[in-house]
Amino acid sequence: MSENVKEEKAYRVLESHSFLQRAMFRYMLEGHAASEEGKLAWVTSGFPVEIPVAMDVGVSYPEQYGAIVGSEKAGPKLCGYAEELGYSQELCSYARANIGSVKHPEESPLEGLPAPQALLACNNICGTVLRWYDAISQMTGAPVFLVDTPPLEGEQLPHHIAYVRHGLDNLVSFLSAKFGTTLEEDKLREVTDLSTETIGVWTQCLEACKNKPSPLNCADRFLAMAPVVAIRGRDYTLEYYQTLLNEVKDRIANGLGAIRNEKVRLLWDNIPPWFRVFRIMGSLAKRGVVFPADTYTHAWTGSFKDEDRMDSIAFMYSNVYLNKGLEAKVDKMCDLIKDYDLDGFVMFSVRSCKRYSLGQLVSKELVSQRTGVPGVVIEGDMVDSRLQNDAQVETRLDALLEMLL
Amino acid sequence: MLKELVDKGKPILGYVYPHTPLEIIMAHDVMPALLYANPTVMGSYEASLQTFACSFVRNIFSQRVNDQLPHVNGIVFPGNTCDSLQNLADIWRLRFPQDKIFRLTYPAGNQGDAAVQYFAEELRIFSNSLEDAYSSPFSDDTFRQAVDLVQQFRNAVQFLYAARLLQPSSVPYHRIAAFVREFHSVPLETVVDELRATVNDVEHSLAEAGRVDSTKALQHALLEQRLEDVSLPSDLPTPRIAIVGGMTEPQAIAKLVNAISKVSSTAVVFDLLSFGFKTIFTPMPAFEGDPFETIARSVLGALLEPTQEGLPKRLDFLKDALTHLAIDGLIVCEQSFCDPDEFESPSLLAVASKVGVRTVRLPIDSEFSDRARLEGRIQSFLETLAHGGAA
Repeated sequence: MSENVKEEKAYRVLESHSFLQRAMFRYMLEGHAASEEGKLAWVTSGFPVEIPVAMDVGVSYPEQYGAIVGSEKAGPKLCGYAEELGYSQELCSYARANIGSVKHPEESPLEGLPAPQALLACNNICGTVLRWYDAISQMTGAPVFLVDTPPLEGEQLPHHIAYVRHGLDNLVSFLSAKFGTTLEEDKLREVTDLSTETIGVWTQCLEACKNKPSPLNCADRFLAMAPVVAIRGRDYTLEYYQTLLNEVKDRIANGLGAIRNEKVRLLWDNIPPWFRVFRIMGSLAKRGVVFPADTYTHAWTGSFKDEDRMDSIAFMYSNVYLNKGLEAKVDKMCDLIKDYDLDGFVMFSVRSCKRYSLGQLVSKELVSQRTGVPGVVIEGDMVDSRLQNDAQVETRLDALLEMLL
Repeated sequence: MLKELVDKGKPILGYVYPHTPLEIIMAHDVMPALLYANPTVMGSYEASLQTFACSFVRNIFSQRVNDQLPHVNGIVFPGNTCDSLQNLADIWRLRFPQDKIFRLTYPAGNQGDAAVQYFAEELRIFSNSLEDAYSSPFSDDTFRQAVDLVQQFRNAVQFLYAARLLQPSSVPYHRIAAFVREFHSVPLETVVDELRATVNDVEHSLAEAGRVDSTKALQHALLEQRLEDVSLPSDLPTPRIAIVGGMTEPQAIAKLVNAISKVSSTAVVFDLLSFGFKTIFTPMPAFEGDPFETIARSVLGALLEPTQEGLPKRLDFLKDALTHLAIDGLIVCEQSFCDPDEFESPSLLAVASKVGVRTVRLPIDSEFSDRARLEGRIQSFLETLAHGGAA
């Protein structure tokens, strides 16, 4: 009976998720082991992680932990602990959840992240990461290192590359001094090759969603992106994505979509509300709505091609999606809508993420004008459910779907 | 004043970041004018900005929507300082494509000469774009005159800051704040002339107490950010209050404090605000060498902002200031939805607590719309200080 009920669900579960769970479990264990050895760094999601990995420094990702806090619905509690320490509710909820978990690990999912010995921030995703890591540094005593990648307007100019490259060289010196390790060229090449290959397979998974029906929905990709964010440059990460790609190809070959009855194809913009994402996607799937593309998971693309890998790293990490202007974001959304043959778009306006969200009201108009498809802006938060009004979100989504269904 | 200049055909460039290098703008024969939040502006940002954009950003954008901005022929926004201002420039360009919008990107990393070289190149690009936009090339002579004028202004206000710390009755804080605002609004020789006259009066007052040399020594110590050898007179009036917070406008906070009847005119002796101390105590640029590099060194030599790497250094300076300048109470301003302010304030409060200085947090929006509550908080704080209780 229960098997029959499972079969009836509008949403198909990926079998490769078990590989994902194993990969992430291993990543967690490696983080704890590195911390115990005194060789763990916390890193931001856009950090050039290939360098610490090649230098045998373990890494953990507070943003990814924020997603766990959100999905475990522990956001209000942990963010509240940060607010008790004086951090405003107006600040990034990833940061507040992380600060709260450092203060009260015993009340946090997985008992918090393993203790860091260094905090490595790259501001290519937002300016908040530096302030956030400064706050963590005050609490833990771990020093902060910033790789500064000033936002780009248009093409990256030589003085910008030189500045970022200088920061990367300083990073190597910092890690050498802090952890007594060195960077070997061969090792960096090996790690960046693995990253390139991993990102390549991940990109194939994303692009497979151009098929109709789409083999993946955005909630699938939000889960599946964890290793490419947190553990790129590892062999077991590549293995996971190859498994995922095989499953995606099987679905396409068998005409199976991520949802059972695909009617409307939409674009998702921004980080999801981790505490509601499956409920929202499940409910929309029942109405035949799938999200074959989103701007968030497409942010982890690119490759390390140059002969000088440090130059390649300087280029790639300066040119990430969130480090470019609003025009570039509009272009990207228009391209995705065209390439994935989408009927409309949903922009999630995340109250605690200004870099990603401010500008959405303008870009909504521009994307609609350029593509001719309708869109809607819904407001809420990624981790802190107190900042979200579910009824309002539902009403706005209904309004969009009335135009499309 | 701006209108007069506009009528005479002088191009005016608005700016919003306190460390914008006025000298480079003036070297193009363009007048820089600081844009402030306007408390009378009704919210008109809703079609373009969400409510969680910082209050300053919302206010400036509303001024543009309502045609209430001062007479400017363009605006330069900072890049790489905060996410709200970063995105605002993009939104502005798309909403008002006819406006001249420039961006000057600052290094956030504390990377010594590499940061100077990066910023010097950004300044050069900015200068080229000014030349293109206003058909007015960079002039070495005008640049030197601008450096001289800005430095005269800074020297004079630095002296007033030091005088206020040593002998608070010699110059009111709101007078210093007014000069800061006036010069940043329109950096003219006439402002410096008026300032010079005030400095003379203050010097006379200090001379009577034999404190001119010690004031100059304190000015130097503040500029060098070395306060350990500072020696203060023993008869200073109390309480001595300092104000910290990023983009809070000194004159607005000075007016707020002045409006409270029970506050002594000698109470506020110091600030660590962006438009105040941090901009005024910017080291003097060299007259020789590449102008962009000398300005880059000067701007990056100022006390760091919460938008930049270096929180421990900022906290050390605050600790020194609280300890060596005999501060009794600290008002920590936090601008609504300002990430840099709101992230830094718990650390500032912790430093004050460690050295036994009482504190009050002042959550504000840039319009100071909740004036009565703010006044009430400051008044309660001062009463608490007077009674020696916990804040």
